[in-house]
Amino acid sequence: MITMRGVRRGVLTFILSAATCVSAAAQSSSDLAAGQQLFQGLCSRCHGIDGTGDEGPNLNRPNLHLAPDDAALRVIIRDGLPDLGMPRVRRLQDDEITALVVFVRSLGRTAPSVQAGNAENGSAVFQKLGCATCHIINGAGGSLGPELSGIGAHRSPKYLRGAVLEPGASLPKGVLPIPSRGFDEFLLVRIVTRDGKEVRGLRINEDSFTIQLKDTKNQFLSFRKSDVRQIEKEFGKSLMPGYRDRLTGSDIDDLVAYLSSLGGAK
Amino acid sequence: MNIRLVRTAFASALVVMAFGYVPTLAQVTSQRIARADSEPESWLTYSGNYQSQRYSPLNQINRQNVGQLRPFWMYQIRRAGVFETSPIVADGVMYLTEPPSTVTALDVRTGRPLWTWTPTIPDDVIIIGSPPVNRGVAILDDMVFAGSVAGHLTALDAKSGAVRWDVTVEDNKHAYYLTLAPLALDGKIIVGVSGAEAGIRGFVDAYDPKTGRRLWRTFTVPAPGEPGSDTWKGDSWKTGGGSTWLTGSFDPALNTLYWMTGNPGPDWNGDDRLGDNLYTCSVLALNPADGKLKWHFQFTPHDTHDWDSNQIPVLFDAPINGRARKLLAVANRNAFYYLIDRETGEFISATAYAKQTWNDGFTAKGRPIVKPGLDPTLEGVTVFPNIQGASNWYSPSYSPQTKLFYQFTREMSTTYYKGAAKFKVGEAFTGGGGRAINGDDAYAAVRALESMTGKLKWEFKLLSPGMDGLLSTAGGLVFGGADEGNFFALDAENGKLLWDLQLGGSIRANPMSFGVDDKQYVAIAAGWTLYVFGVP
Repeated sequence: MITMRGVRRGVLTFILSAATCVSAAAQSSSDLAAGQQLFQGLCSRCHGIDGTGDEGPNLNRPNLHLAPDDAALRVIIRDGLPDLGMPRVRRLQDDEITALVVFVRSLGRTAPSVQAGNAENGSAVFQKLGCATCHIINGAGGSLGPELSGIGAHRSPKYLRGAVLEPGASLPKGVLPIPSRGFDEFLLVRIVTRDGKEVRGLRINEDSFTIQLKDTKNQFLSFRKSDVRQIEKEFGKSLMPGYRDRLTGSDIDDLVAYLSSLGGAK
Repeated sequence: MNIRLVRTAFASALVVMAFGYVPTLAQVTSQRIARADSEPESWLTYSGNYQSQRYSPLNQINRQNVGQLRPFWMYQIRRAGVFETSPIVADGVMYLTEPPSTVTALDVRTGRPLWTWTPTIPDDVIIIGSPPVNRGVAILDDMVFAGSVAGHLTALDAKSGAVRWDVTVEDNKHAYYLTLAPLALDGKIIVGVSGAEAGIRGFVDAYDPKTGRRLWRTFTVPAPGEPGSDTWKGDSWKTGGGSTWLTGSFDPALNTLYWMTGNPGPDWNGDDRLGDNLYTCSVLALNPADGKLKWHFQFTPHDTHDWDSNQIPVLFDAPINGRARKLLAVANRNAFYYLIDRETGEFISATAYAKQTWNDGFTAKGRPIVKPGLDPTLEGVTVFPNIQGASNWYSPSYSPQTKLFYQFTREMSTTYYKGAAKFKVGEAFTGGGGRAINGDDAYAAVRALESMTGKLKWEFKLLSPGMDGLLSTAGGLVFGGADEGNFFALDAENGKLLWDLQLGGSIRANPMSFGVDDKQYVAIAAGWTLYVFGVP
């Protein structure tokens, strides 16, 4: 039974909660702006103005492996990582660190957007298409392509839709610690050996003298560049098939909804 | 010689006779440094000689045997960090620095430490503008000199690491700090400072090596009424930057010190500092006796892209139109290779050695003709070269043998953004930033430039634009490193790859060479390790 007192208390609680939400949202927004300004002055020289990296690593990645949570990120911003070359540039106030945390976290996220589709149906589409052959979700699946366990928390539905329809056009950058500094990940590479044998695979890593691939059988391959006849980096292509002409509109919506649901995306 | 000295000398002689041991009485005098090329087994100053050529006259490692190069010893630094040291080798000892400001002496035969010294760095040290690094020491007589990120200059006893004296160059609370290797001249230790990303006013200082007393200070940004002050608007000179964070060069015959200066502050927003902003992004020719300016040449007037001119000024002599000229060459961060007459400061030529999109030529006096509309904006403007430049602090090399100027070249652009800049002591004062167009859209190359024209003779491409210095040798080799950890040797004449090895950690340092027991070695810092290579 709901009493009037209970209703009044409920209304009051609602009002207080709403006020708190508004305040938190305003705080977060001002933190974001303040964080951006601090970032420009303190961090952009090495990490790029929008965290895309330069001399330092890019921060526009969903997982900062040295800062898995905000508490760890606060410590890094406060103390730097002198052993890895990141100075503690100056003493920061707690509210400045908070603002920087808010801004840095924003770099690894793309704004959620309203989406159509049914995630449950999308899961069935995912299974039907055999996507798990190449993608791990929550520990299950093949490992040729990117792991998708938390992909919904890191990529917008718009990006995911693009990746499903035309995978080669939106190769990820900055998701993996190797390679780094803005290199395309899962880049398709064609190599012709001295004896004329052709190998295609995904670039795993590279330096000026060597390149490491995974072939379509998920086997690691390593080449010294001077030992092969040709190395062609196939920008704009992907080993993953595009589904623009292979799925109905509603299937695509459902698949995107499913991917967006992974990792607690809202 | 007074009686006491005579007695001391006599007593020393007795000790020598008693133990049958001849002590090394070597002193690294400025005369020895000036004649560095005559003792190629040593490496007595940051860039190998006062001309900053980073060239080794040793030739035991050469085109024929470099394929057999192997590590002889390694030294792992005591605390991990970005390791940018360029060692000094003198009289059987290697002196190097470890991040952020530690100095260590190693037995040059084995790499075993002889002593190490770490200064106290306050918890609230302010380092705005670079990683917490140190690029090396200077040696003079029986002392080693090092700067610190805390803004100090310290003299250490070369045999023990004990502190002889320690002075504050400038207050780190105001964001001044030191990363460079000092330069030792006759009776003077020369240093510069970092901090232009926090609105410092840069300067070059000279200190008495024996006492640490400051002998002179020359500001890189003039005060009102001084020459050049009309190139600053209002009070902007007070926060005008012009850092001096890289070791300069010296011509003993002309008795002239050459020091390069960095960006004006704030970096990417020039609205409140209208004018050329002298003497930022320049080379200064100074009289080492009193620090007085003999001449200057400004590479990038009113810089808004953070193109510090803190590169190594390389000195060599060559004829131009039949007349012998004393030259200064710089592969500037702004993507141009400059030749300057180092007696007069006269501009001779500027040639692009990397892709650039900002310049439409030069006036006869070397002032760049700047394309309009390329200053940073709120929306961003993309320009070549990159925010870290086509070159940076890492060293080029000049070979008197090939007459080529070797430069690790960064081919990368940046989208430059303008932001607000409000000065507050000890805080970042940059007014914007940049977004690098990096990854697969960028690359690097070792480029061999004809030293008299800047024209490309050959290049050796590398995957990504790192911070890697070069060394050329009389063995006909060029040694270099890569961001991904490869160390390699090229044929100095044609750039052909002769040897390479993956060292397992990013290389952000300059190679150098020395000799022990009539054998040549090459040293390079990679990751957290110093490697010393030789042929069996």
